[in-house]
Amino acid sequence: MPTSLRQLLLLSLAITLMTACKKDDEDPVPPTPPPAGNEQELITTLILTFTDTENTAQTFELRWSDSDGEGGNDPVITGDILPQNRAYSMAVRVLDESGASPVEITNEIAAEKEEHQFFFLPSNVNLTFFYADQDANGNPVGLANTAIAGGPSLGSLTVILRHELNKTGAGVAAGDPTNAGGDTDIEVTLPVRVD
Amino acid sequence: MHRIRNILLFSLLVLPIGAALAQPCDLSIRGKVIDDHDRTPLSFAEVYLPELGRGAVSDLDGNYIISGLCPGTYQMRITHLGCDPVERKVVLDRDLVLDLRLEHHVEELRELEVISKRPDENVGLAREEVGRTELERSAGRSFAEVLQNLPGVTLLNSGPTTSKVVIQGHSGNRVLTLNQGIRQEDQQWGSDHAPNMDPFTADRITVVKGAASVQYGADAIGGVILSEPVELPRSPGIGGEIRGVGIYNGRGGAASGSLHGGLRGIPGFGWRVQGSGRMLGDQQAPDYVLSNTGLREAAGSASVGVQRHWGGATLYYSWFGRDLGVLRAAHIGNLTDLNNAITSGRPWFIAPFTYEIGNPYQTVQHHLLKAEAKYRVSDRNTVLLTYGYQGDERKEFDNRRGALRDRPSIDLFLATHTGDAILNHWLGPHIHGKAGFNVVYQENFNQPGTGSRPLIPNYARTSGGVFILEHFPLHDALELEAGARLEAAFLQVGRFNAANEYETPEHRFTNYAFSVGGNWSIREHLQLRANIGSAFRPPHVVELYSQGLHHGSAAIERGDPTLLGERSLKATTDLAGAWLEGRLKGSLSLFRDRIDDYIYLRPAGTQLTIRGAFPVFDYVATDAELYGGDATLEFTVHGPFRIRVRAGTVRGRDLGTNEWLFQMPSDRVEQALLFNKETWGPLRDAEIALSLRSVFQQERIPVGLDFMDPPATYHLLGLSVSMARPLGNNELRFGVQGANLLNVAYRDYMDRFRYYADAAGLDLSLWVRFAFGTPPAITP
Repeated sequence: MPTSLRQLLLLSLAITLMTACKKDDEDPVPPTPPPAGNEQELITTLILTFTDTENTAQTFELRWSDSDGEGGNDPVITGDILPQNRAYSMAVRVLDESGASPVEITNEIAAEKEEHQFFFLPSNVNLTFFYADQDANGNPVGLANTAIAGGPSLGSLTVILRHELNKTGAGVAAGDPTNAGGDTDIEVTLPVRVD
Repeated sequence: MHRIRNILLFSLLVLPIGAALAQPCDLSIRGKVIDDHDRTPLSFAEVYLPELGRGAVSDLDGNYIISGLCPGTYQMRITHLGCDPVERKVVLDRDLVLDLRLEHHVEELRELEVISKRPDENVGLAREEVGRTELERSAGRSFAEVLQNLPGVTLLNSGPTTSKVVIQGHSGNRVLTLNQGIRQEDQQWGSDHAPNMDPFTADRITVVKGAASVQYGADAIGGVILSEPVELPRSPGIGGEIRGVGIYNGRGGAASGSLHGGLRGIPGFGWRVQGSGRMLGDQQAPDYVLSNTGLREAAGSASVGVQRHWGGATLYYSWFGRDLGVLRAAHIGNLTDLNNAITSGRPWFIAPFTYEIGNPYQTVQHHLLKAEAKYRVSDRNTVLLTYGYQGDERKEFDNRRGALRDRPSIDLFLATHTGDAILNHWLGPHIHGKAGFNVVYQENFNQPGTGSRPLIPNYARTSGGVFILEHFPLHDALELEAGARLEAAFLQVGRFNAANEYETPEHRFTNYAFSVGGNWSIREHLQLRANIGSAFRPPHVVELYSQGLHHGSAAIERGDPTLLGERSLKATTDLAGAWLEGRLKGSLSLFRDRIDDYIYLRPAGTQLTIRGAFPVFDYVATDAELYGGDATLEFTVHGPFRIRVRAGTVRGRDLGTNEWLFQMPSDRVEQALLFNKETWGPLRDAEIALSLRSVFQQERIPVGLDFMDPPATYHLLGLSVSMARPLGNNELRFGVQGANLLNVAYRDYMDRFRYYADAAGLDLSLWVRFAFGTPPAITP
């Protein structure tokens, strides 16, 4: 049957063509490397500095850092003991220490005060926090605060940073994140001792 | 219990109307098929009514007859060997005599038999079709939403405007879409990546429900979606259409226009240009605005082609662009935020309605270029060569600090080249089919400057496959089909690992697929289709190399480079029949699907980061089994009144853990009361449909995997009114579509944003279509 013969020929031609194409591809250009994977938004370190309001030379620090970002090594948490029954001014610093030189993220937050707010939630520890700063709308930010330490106690402090939150939600201005919404940029819990 | 009560109530409402007004379906269409050139009768021409799945073949004198028809409007497809297929619409309100003229290209063909009804048909596979009429009714909807009413099809949503098609429980990389015959490649691995396609370019969309890797290659595990273009004109005369739709929910609309024509000097030459746009503001749920869910779309396409007796050639180009807002309240930081969203039961961010799209949002651009040549080697053998290029650009903008807000956090460009060569051959009256090969070369680029770690690496993928698919029309009532494919794929990846070292792993995959199917006309009005087919899917790069935090889902997802890919074996049976002189029509379609190395995300604990705790998910492979079916019953109660009941069910089991699979669509039932009138004063094709769709609560879920219980059962009332008004040679068609008419507040299990907000509320749209000039297809 001449027609079938022709089909057979065509088919074999097709297959030859395909294998020919494959041979051309034998030394293909490897994929171009993607841009190096540095995360520019990364936050690795949170530092709370407590300064004694009556003796500003006395400072104490709570620090949470995970310099290799998510995964990898475990975070390092360090903290000083806060002397009891005192008033402190407390400042917050946020850093990206993943690169060769640390990047100060605090400034970025300060530049977008309206969109950011810190929350400080002590648990089982005699510490009380009050916001000491405001954004342009008169809402708290939490970069500068007042902290009152009571009697000796051992507990923990949860620090939350929300981005693009609803600052007018019920209780949000008083430091309660329940109705704040937004994206959580930081949520860490540190052990704290007042003595 | 109240689901049964609902069904009963509705039936009580509907049935008495019918019982009083019964009328049989005994109309017929008869006539002669004639060669347009020399007026000789054409024998063995097939006259087919796709809506009914029935037809007739003309006898030696060209006569045909189809009887036992109900009054209605039917699409009629006339095919004959050596002729271009012709479609026309018939309005049937009495017995009709209709002579059909075909343009017969090959003179010496007169003594031959019909080769095939539709050469691309998958014998034995259940298929559903969205035709021109349904497409015009769903104008203004996205590509996936257009398909949502088909039996066996559901949607996977990410908010009210982002939908992906789910075929019998499979979606994403397990569903293959062919746009104008080219594999659609648009980063479909993301569950919030809606297909980058404009439904206005389609003339007909077919959903093949079955494993169909033999014909279509990798990824056709759950099924295949075929979006077919409008045929190019072949004769001179300019025509076109304008379509418009106003949409209440989102306060927007869409518009589309097209022009087509031929050239007097060049027979068989045709061209078409088309453009469309769509704009919506924030969607509205019954109780609040779904803030930042607006969208803007623009698309255009152009094609030229020539169809002659020796074959033909076409060139097609299309562009699609979309800006899509992502529900603001669905963008969250960590597990605590997710729990807060679930407990509050209300989105935390609600702003007044706006057309503006803020962060987070996505923008996509998709280009498709297709060149196709068909050459008639001999009377019954044609070679079809197709080349396709797709360029797909996707940028996703997140809520980031400062200047990074205006920089995309995901910026991908995917270039895909596809080449196909197919030989349609005829070996004898009882064996004919097609054989061919396909080549795909694809490269994925992460565009620099995002300032974030790439979610998926760069890669280059080359694959090639050979296939053969033969039809065996044994006699009038029985047709068999068998086929096989071999495919090899080579994947090269370029990535930075966790330690920031550049590495270039390589993967090779070899796969095969087969399929056997049959169509059997047990008797007139009773047809059985059965198919067993296999399909394969090499793992996607995201499943191999995903690492880190997926912001959209607030989860850490880890790929596994040792995954081998999925293999599936799927059996489908489809029984369709008509009883009581055609007044009762029914179809039942069942499937069972076994997938080896089914890849899914398995929870693997939580990880503590400075942003709080995140759930960790690993891509793992297990063996899975899916089964289920769908059924449709339609009863003509009296003349123009019909009732239709549709039900669908899917079950998915993880055989490795002996658990239910996550995110399987729940059971659903749709009941509709339909009214048709062909002539209503100056109006034609009047159709009114009132429907009640009930989606039941998903009770079959894996233990401890989800963050929230599946949402409750809900019922939605829908309305569709459409009619046409002929205006001389032109035609005006218009209609109203209503969805969620009772403005019910509900959430759907298949909506990924069900944790954050209700689904959209009441929607009404008003559409108009005006067709003018010469119609595109040659009407006999």
